[in-house]
Amino acid sequence: MSQEVTPVVSMRHITMQFPGVLANDDVSLDIRKGEIFALVGENGAGKSTLMNILYGMYTPTDGEVLVRGERLFRFDPNEAIRHGIGMVHQHFMLVPSFTVAQNIVLNTEPRRGLFYDFRRANQIVEELVQEYGLAVRPTDTVRDISVGLQQRVEILKALYRGADILILDEPTAVLTPQETDELFDVIRSIVRIRQMTVIIITHKLNEVMAISDRVGVMRQGKLIGVCQTCDVNERILASMMVGKDVLMEPFIREKTKATEPALVVENLSVLDNRGLPAVRGLSLKVFPGEILGIAGIEGNGQSELAEAVTGMRHVQSGQIRILNRDVTGMDPAQIRALGVSHVPEDRIQTGLSGKSDIVDNLVVGREKEPQFSIRGFHLKKKRMKEYAEELSANFDIRGGGIHTPTQSLSGGNMQKVLVAREFSSGSRVMIISQPSRGVDVGAMDFIHRQIMEKRSEGCAILLISADLDELYRLSDRLCTIYEGSITGEFDPSVTEKREVGLYMTGRGEEAGHE
Amino acid sequence: MSDARKKYLLSLFSSILMALVIGAVIMAVSGHNPLEGYAVLITGAFGSERSIGNTLYKTAQLCITGIATAVASQGGIFNVGGEGQMYLGAIASCWLGAALNGTSPWLAIPLCLLAAILAGALYAWIPAILKIKLNISEVITTILMNSIAIYFCTYLANGPLKTTEKGIVSGTASLDRAFRFSRLIKGSNLTQTVFMIAVVTLLVWYLMSRTTTGFGMKLTGENSRFARYAGLNAGMLGILGMLISGAMCGMLGMFECFGLQTRFKTDFSNEFYFDGMLVAMIMQYRPLGIILMSFFFGALKIGAVSMQSQTGISSELILIIQSVIIFFMAAQEGLLASLGRHSSARRANRMRGGVKS
Repeated sequence: MSQEVTPVVSMRHITMQFPGVLANDDVSLDIRKGEIFALVGENGAGKSTLMNILYGMYTPTDGEVLVRGERLFRFDPNEAIRHGIGMVHQHFMLVPSFTVAQNIVLNTEPRRGLFYDFRRANQIVEELVQEYGLAVRPTDTVRDISVGLQQRVEILKALYRGADILILDEPTAVLTPQETDELFDVIRSIVRIRQMTVIIITHKLNEVMAISDRVGVMRQGKLIGVCQTCDVNERILASMMVGKDVLMEPFIREKTKATEPALVVENLSVLDNRGLPAVRGLSLKVFPGEILGIAGIEGNGQSELAEAVTGMRHVQSGQIRILNRDVTGMDPAQIRALGVSHVPEDRIQTGLSGKSDIVDNLVVGREKEPQFSIRGFHLKKKRMKEYAEELSANFDIRGGGIHTPTQSLSGGNMQKVLVAREFSSGSRVMIISQPSRGVDVGAMDFIHRQIMEKRSEGCAILLISADLDELYRLSDRLCTIYEGSITGEFDPSVTEKREVGLYMTGRGEEAGHE
Repeated sequence: MSDARKKYLLSLFSSILMALVIGAVIMAVSGHNPLEGYAVLITGAFGSERSIGNTLYKTAQLCITGIATAVASQGGIFNVGGEGQMYLGAIASCWLGAALNGTSPWLAIPLCLLAAILAGALYAWIPAILKIKLNISEVITTILMNSIAIYFCTYLANGPLKTTEKGIVSGTASLDRAFRFSRLIKGSNLTQTVFMIAVVTLLVWYLMSRTTTGFGMKLTGENSRFARYAGLNAGMLGILGMLISGAMCGMLGMFECFGLQTRFKTDFSNEFYFDGMLVAMIMQYRPLGIILMSFFFGALKIGAVSMQSQTGISSELILIIQSVIIFFMAAQEGLLASLGRHSSARRANRMRGGVKS
């Protein structure tokens, strides 16, 4: 550890009051030069807000920020960039139709006379790529490259603008395990080469342990503590985050005795948005009281599978049967009416209506039930409100009253609204995609318990997740999906994750040869 | 009342105030006394039975067209084609009415009303189905279809359906006296149709805000993918909003011709629909707000006529006032944000000791 006299960033007594929410409550934090600092906390703990203040996106209600001993007077991203601060947001800010190089030099394009000098731009970016050893091609169009590479473009953009303090907001939320490892290599190398300071916002504790030098824990707007990473473990951090002990203990379970499957998919083929085959001749069965996990790297047909089964996507060929009814070609309303609920992976575009309040988002789909309307026509607004209050309490939905539009909730609370609705409709078959993506430890445990409860009620559950730990914790059986087909079926209680990982990447034969 | 609603009302009232102030400045600059101008405007709108009647009728007209815009928009479709739907409703009902001349009004009027509603709704259905099935922008189709409808009706009124009565240059055959709606106040435009407009407006308001249909339409309008996912019939709800909107416009077309005219005339509308559409947009498609704002704009419009004749201040001033209100309402987000930045900059200045503030 270097013995710095003045910290590179010093945030003093930061308080941020949003209407109705105290996002940061007198937070003081020093960051040392050249360190990798992890900032962890549950959803809504205020970590993103704190970092957005540092990046100049918000002006704090109270408190001050010093960068290299110099006080920031204006909170504005341009000002922050001038002070060498760069930030990579959770949702990338790139122009999809531009090339990598065009995106990086955007706003400071090299010119020859009056004209944009494309060649020079590519050259500059190539030099940057070489310097940091990032495998990105400057001439690729951003739309065509993977999310992991897009993230590197964002990092390069920050480096190009001269950042030496880099903030990464939940950088691994969208990455596969392999991409996460590569990202960490990149971070370590830029810290080494340029003496960079990196701040990572995350709630994945294993990543904190893997990459950070120090870690700060936030809870309900307050900074609970800052520790040397080597002095703590995941369990200590988890209990600091939620204020109590969280045990991700395994569930005790009994195998289902059902012999008649509730969901049958036979030889299903589905196209993706570009019209290319995404699911190819896939078959599976899910029995009542059973959770079938689908493991795979994103983009191997999982999304299309879930959409086809729930009627959101046209079935090219094959058959889907739910509770002994052929539902192939039915629309989502008809499939729901059979007792199917669906937690989609995309909660913002599909799973919720952002402009509508919590009440409407919780009631939708059931508004014609006698408890919510007279003769399925005249709304009982009072009853709807009561119902929303009940569910908000049961599912611990926080971040404003029941009349808050869901788009202003944090990711975890959005997911709770979605889960509350889908888990309360008395369904017998559930299609659940990425239930705990972007959700903190406490909420994740809560959602897992809800899923297990549905299982014990006799629900047949198809669980699709990119998180292998989650699948292992919940699934009775586990299928791997690769390029739209099932490549193997496993019993998670006796199979090693490493083996499943090989099947996920289409290298199942290698496992067989070992 | 929610914070957003409060902020909205605040910016609405300050926009109106600003617009009136700017109107006053313009009057003063052009050599008139603003106080006198506004006084004449108010007496022009409310000074006599006749002017009150006119103001109320204008209000009703703005209400029904404003709510028609709002109901389509709640289902996610922006209906710019109300004018065309109104023309078709008018010509359909006038043609049928003239054909039924001599029969009982108890038979003829409901049939004509039905014809007007069907014509308007059908004409709104075309852009709606194009939007839902082929994702063709309804803004473009409805604007273009306005011209088609108006020229088509002009052709009919000057050609195949032209009256044979002597001395009438253009227009359909005149309607039986018994079919016409009578005026409630002599000399004013207020006819019996105002009651029907009120009933229809309130019914649609109820549908939009208190029923499962309105609930479904709202969610469809906000996020149609979500609506489909949640098991709503999103396509049907979007089309339904347009059908209701078109039906209301068609109905107004009939009311205009059966009440104020004696037949279909090609110039019966002075772009009524667009006035109502503006009211709806300013009030963010909220029914109660549309009703209140219709009254305000209705009074302005009627009062302006007296203002022009008595003080010489051009009635175009009302256009300026309306435009300024629209301008400020459209810019409210940006204005509020820049005000917010301003005050936070001041706060930052204070924090560093107020050296430069």
